[in-house]
Amino acid sequence: MTFVFPNEANVTWTVMIVLYPFITGLVAGAFIVSSLFHVFGKSNLKAVARYSLVSAFVFLLFAPLPLLVHLGHPERAFNIMITPNFSSAMAGFGYIYAAYLLLVLLEIWFSLRSEFIARAKGRGLTAWICRVIMLYNLDEDESTKRADFKITRFLAGLGIPLACLLHGYVGFLFGALKANPWWSTPLMFVIFIFSAIVSGIAVIIFHYFVVSWINGWRVDQVCVRTLAKYLWGFMIVAVSLELLEILSLAYKQTEEWEVLRTLIDQKLFFTYIVLQFLILSLIPFLMLGVASLVKLKDRLAYALIWTASTMLLLQVLLMRWNVVIGGQLLSKSLRGFTNYLPGIWDREGLIVAAIIFTLPFGILYVFHRIIPLFPGAVKVRARTNRQAADTTAGIGN
Amino acid sequence: MNINEKNSKGATPRTSYRHTFRLAVLIIILVLAALLVRQILVPESFGLKGYYRAAAVDEAREFPIRHVGEKACIECHDDIASLHDKDAHAAVPCESCHGPGADHAQAEGETAILIPEGKDPCLACHRPLDARPSAFPQIRWREHYQFVGVKDTSIDCIECHSPHEPLFMDRDIRSARLHPLIHRCQDCHTERFDRDFHRPKSHPAIFECSYCHKEIVEDFSRRAHSEIQCSTCHMFFKESDFAGRIIRDSDPRFCLLCHREADFRSSDAPPGIKWPGHLEDVAMEPGDTKKRCVDCHREMIHKIMERPDSNE
Amino acid sequence: MSDKRWTRRELVKLLAAAPSLLLIRCVPSPQSGEASDYKASEHYWGYAVDTTRCIGCGNCMRACRAENDVSAGFYRTWVERYRVGLDGETQVDVADPETLAFEELSGEVSKAFFIPKLCNHCEKSVCTQVCPVGASIHTPDGVVLVDDKHCIGCGYCVQACPYGSRFIDPHTHTAGKCTLCYHRITKGEEPACVAMCPTGARIFGDLNDPRSKLSTILRQNRYRVLRPEMGTHPKCYYQGLDREVV
Repeated sequence: MTFVFPNEANVTWTVMIVLYPFITGLVAGAFIVSSLFHVFGKSNLKAVARYSLVSAFVFLLFAPLPLLVHLGHPERAFNIMITPNFSSAMAGFGYIYAAYLLLVLLEIWFSLRSEFIARAKGRGLTAWICRVIMLYNLDEDESTKRADFKITRFLAGLGIPLACLLHGYVGFLFGALKANPWWSTPLMFVIFIFSAIVSGIAVIIFHYFVVSWINGWRVDQVCVRTLAKYLWGFMIVAVSLELLEILSLAYKQTEEWEVLRTLIDQKLFFTYIVLQFLILSLIPFLMLGVASLVKLKDRLAYALIWTASTMLLLQVLLMRWNVVIGGQLLSKSLRGFTNYLPGIWDREGLIVAAIIFTLPFGILYVFHRIIPLFPGAVKVRARTNRQAADTTAGIGN
Repeated sequence: MNINEKNSKGATPRTSYRHTFRLAVLIIILVLAALLVRQILVPESFGLKGYYRAAAVDEAREFPIRHVGEKACIECHDDIASLHDKDAHAAVPCESCHGPGADHAQAEGETAILIPEGKDPCLACHRPLDARPSAFPQIRWREHYQFVGVKDTSIDCIECHSPHEPLFMDRDIRSARLHPLIHRCQDCHTERFDRDFHRPKSHPAIFECSYCHKEIVEDFSRRAHSEIQCSTCHMFFKESDFAGRIIRDSDPRFCLLCHREADFRSSDAPPGIKWPGHLEDVAMEPGDTKKRCVDCHREMIHKIMERPDSNE
Repeated sequence: MSDKRWTRRELVKLLAAAPSLLLIRCVPSPQSGEASDYKASEHYWGYAVDTTRCIGCGNCMRACRAENDVSAGFYRTWVERYRVGLDGETQVDVADPETLAFEELSGEVSKAFFIPKLCNHCEKSVCTQVCPVGASIHTPDGVVLVDDKHCIGCGYCVQACPYGSRFIDPHTHTAGKCTLCYHRITKGEEPACVAMCPTGARIFGDLNDPRSKLSTILRQNRYRVLRPEMGTHPKCYYQGLDREVV
């Protein structure tokens, strides 16, 4: 017979709280890719460097949205900055988020300054927007460009620990909670960061392929293969940490293990064992391994890499689900489970979640209309028009 | 851009930060403005007594009290209270049956308070649940009705047991002396036993009345009430694992719980008498409060052994 | 296009002026006065439960609901029933949410008992540690309260409580929990659940007063707290707590 404390029947942290760490994970991951280029000089990644920085910013703008939807009193949301209680991991959110937002904004300002100035010199709304963004200062020459470069590099470097803090605090928020045996582990901070990087790289690859396919661009082969190698490496670390956590619990078998085992065997078997580990970790691991280690034709490599990226995106989303929802299915009486199915039309339901997730892509498109996100993209065929001949310089080879 | 590259003249090129000035000023202004706004928005009593809004504690004290407690009830209902406080329900608060009484007390009785009806309010506490302590009186009401000869099951518990004086106890249980604990079989065993049972030699000692009161028990077994358990009239209230308090209830109304003649009683009920008509019938003055059933009907119960410190 | 150049002097003047603006709200506001003669510093409230006396009548739950307008389906205090079968398997349940009464269950038991539960008003409460906005209050007299007007309804405290004492109130959208009937105890009354318990299973008192009923009971009996390994130092003490109870 299953028993939960009477106040536990309702799950408090819903799909919105699954979505939030997923989005900040995309932010952190995308930012890391951008920093790999700007700080560590990985020039292979030039094709996606600008896109990853801007997408980090856009996702960051939308990150608080699921939280606001979830709060009982969203109009009091600023209390987190007015009276932050710093013994709480969650209190860090206000200031860390603001600081990081400022940092990414500044980095975009500096790294794209030339682009903005070029467009500010015209007429029309776009030009006016660019002038405002530049604070009506369109002065530039070699010396200012050098300054821009240095500042961008500095910010990109500073942003790495800040991104880790922004996403890691979520992991700490869960991992430091002694009351919940599914969440309480020192590894949670690190697991969240590494799986965030995985999701960030995966979303960049995913989106890059999709956008290139839609616009008929040639994909930068070196860039994609480099990204794939990074993705493979980071996912090995992330999944190893996730496995380590559960194996450690299974080995120690302390008091909570009985109910945790039942949680995994019954409530989470499909989403945790089958999906998160077997299908969406093992198969991408093999795919990316093949794509990274074996010399393959571009077409096949791209297919493997894109599929693996999509699967890893889902894997990270599922990992967030299994952690957030799984931990709440479990009763603190250690005697039973409750249930959760997100509503479709609820305020905290699936439709709202889908909207929150797709809006950033819309904003990215608007940004792209002002400043192209993929400079140097080479059009090799007409926009998805098969009849405009797969020319000799077609996609791939 | 390779920033280490020398220019055409062989010198390291300059880096100018002049274009950052407006941005820096803007950011500083924004940050200061944000800090200022934050200061303004901090709630007034925040941080006075700890990292919280001190006024919230004062607000928490201002909720209306809904349960007023027995002392408020006594102000008007002291007659009920004096009966209640001496009987078996002495520890049961008025409002636990009657609901919150603040409105009724404040209106000084002008608004009604809940009056429980039916058997359910009594059975809420007294129906048998295996998780209840075995010393707590649990009644299977159908069997109880059968035992006391009630044939009409629609009548409620309060027909016989006044809720404020359920057992008509003739003295306050708390003034009775302590008595070693009487165990019943159910205290350890889950199956229900008949009253006749075998006592194996190695079974741990269970206190039975006959251990100390052998003569009385033998005498009782030869008299009219031999079917009744000792503890029915000598009520026992457990206080600890070892002892409780025991009294004999000799209030006439207690005997009437079984013996009052009524049309809801069946034909094989214990012999019923009319009350207070019975007193007239035997040429005693009605209202003679000193007369108790046992004064005349001693031979129906058992002999009283002369003991210097008995409860007589 | 060239900038107006700020002289260093002008810039320093501007920056020096700014922090002074912050001082405007640094002067503390007048004391929120303590009403009447209740001095919080004189008391340190605690709670005890004698589990051998609970009969599972549900009066405490009804009283709490009526006294504090608790929303249906949520509990500031509740009673659990444990039934240990002859095979050693334990079943736990709570009262029906509508009637607040326990249903009669069939099956042989070797042991069965009731355990009242409520907020433990821990000395090192996790809920206060994790509240991001300071809406969880540790009063000087040992009660943990929620600031309804400041709480943002994030639900972190609900997740953090190891005892399941907290919930998000569906009407106020803020955290809800047992307040030890603060509005009663500061006026010399007992919490409603204690006052309405017919068997004396719930005991309330002042830990600061060595002669209070609570202090006496704690001195004379052996007791345990729930989940001591959590390090929360609960102030709700249980007598006769069975090993099955978490």
